[in-house]
This record gives sequence, C-alpha cells and structure tokens, in this order.
Amino acid sequence: MRFLVVDDSTTMRRIIINTLNKVGYQDCAEASNGREGIERLATTTVDMIITDWNMPEMSGIDFIRSVRANAATKELPVLMVTTNAAKDDIVEALRAGVNSYVVKPFTPETIKEKIESMLAH
Amino acid sequence: MSQIPQEMLSTLIASTQEVFETMVFTSLDSHTPIEGEALRPQSNVVGTVAFAGERCGVVAFYSTTGTARTIAGAMLGIDAAQVNGEMPDAIGELTNMIAGTFRTRMAATGQPWAISIPTVTIGSDFYTKYVSDVRRVLCPFSMDGGEVFVELILTTR
Repeated sequence: MRFLVVDDSTTMRRIIINTLNKVGYQDCAEASNGREGIERLATTTVDMIITDWNMPEMSGIDFIRSVRANAATKELPVLMVTTNAAKDDIVEALRAGVNSYVVKPFTPETIKEKIESMLAH
Repeated sequence: MSQIPQEMLSTLIASTQEVFETMVFTSLDSHTPIEGEALRPQSNVVGTVAFAGERCGVVAFYSTTGTARTIAGAMLGIDAAQVNGEMPDAIGELTNMIAGTFRTRMAATGQPWAISIPTVTIGSDFYTKYVSDVRRVLCPFSMDGGEVFVELILTTR
C-alpha cells in the first residue's frame, strides 16, 4: 500500500512517514504542497493521500478539490492531518472531499485507526 | 496573582505537555509560572505563533540550541547529533502544535481565535519587545536533558 504525504514541513512529513512505518506501512511518496502533490499523482500511483491544510502555493483544501475533480484520482481516500480543529474547519474539509480528519498532535494509534476505518469503507 | 486568567495558563501548560508527550516522546515537568519580565530565559531559539480573535497575543517557545536539537531529533526519530538544518522547521512545527492545541482547547470554552503561521528566530543576544501594552507570563518546564519555556503574551486592550 502506497501513501502520498503532502506537507510543507519536512519535520511533519518525516513524523507522518515514521508513524506510517511504525504501524506497518512502508511505502510513501512525498510532496511539499498541493501543487507538487498533483505533479506526484500524475507520475506515480498511490493508494491513499495524507495531507496538511495550510501550505504555500496550493493549500490542502484546494489540492483535495483538484484530486476530486480528476477522474484518475477522484476515488482516492484522503486523510487530512492539521492543527485546524474548529467545527467549521472540519465541515469545510469534508465538503472539499476529505474522508477523514486527524488533529495534530496525534498518536500512531489514531493514525492507524483512521487508515483502517477508511480502508473498511 | 497573575493578571492572565488562570484557566488560560493551565490550558497552555496542559497543551504544551500534551504536544511533548505525543510528538517529542518525552514528558515535561511544569514549574511555577513567572509573571512579567523578571526572568528572561537563556535561549537561542525562539518559536512564536500569534493569535487573534476574542483575545489577541502571542505564544512563544524558548530553548537553547542544544535542547532544540534534542527535541528536533526526537521528533524526527534521529540522534540529536545528526540534526542540522531540520531544527528550525521542527521548532516551528512544535510551536504551531502548542498554539494550535491551546487554541482548540480555549475554543471549547467559547473563546475562538485564529492563529498565524509560526516564525522561528535563532541567534544570541536578542530581546523580543512588544510595541503594544501586553501582559506576559513565562511557564518554565524541565525535561530530560534540558529546560524549555513557553510564554503567553496577551494584549491588554
């Protein structure tokens, strides 16, 4: 199972990838913003996207809208990992096409549960 | 008695401890908060995130360079000696999570606000001065191999 991890923070990308490795997922591609994420999706196949919200060039929300608008990627499960935890934020993310939502800071157990829940649906 | 509401202070302390436990994999012991500018931390690394809304102010994180490397190494899963250019990004992300958790918890009590992107200053012999009238409380913490400080700065308007 291959993930695309999209976050402008190299630290957060590393933390997410380390967490994925810890819970049994070893194959990850990376991108530092939404635009780079789209470029990655055009050249590599992934099974799930994990993305931040606040990023330069293209935000996570715009990235997800673009993913959902593309026939080749519109069915990909998307997990958003962000510090934006207000109810309105979560509603906006779900409307944009996010399947599940994790608020930082997070534990490996939370990430594992969210992934397994998305895969079950 | 602090002029900053005790609820805000205890929420900031709890938020900082939660972020360290989940993302730095270490626990922080909290010590008595210090009001005003009586004590300035001996720090070369300062992360700040501003917030605005029901209240306006800044959450600032302070540590020495050595402690910041230890923290960054723990976050990245590498030895502190291997940490180099990653440290500012790690401290920025850490400060962002502390401020974000603080904001989320305060929003639950009916005080919503927005937060800025984090900034990190690294150097020596510098002092952060705020132009507006502010109240500030410095929260000291000790951890394995060092100490860190988190300051809450509120505008008085």
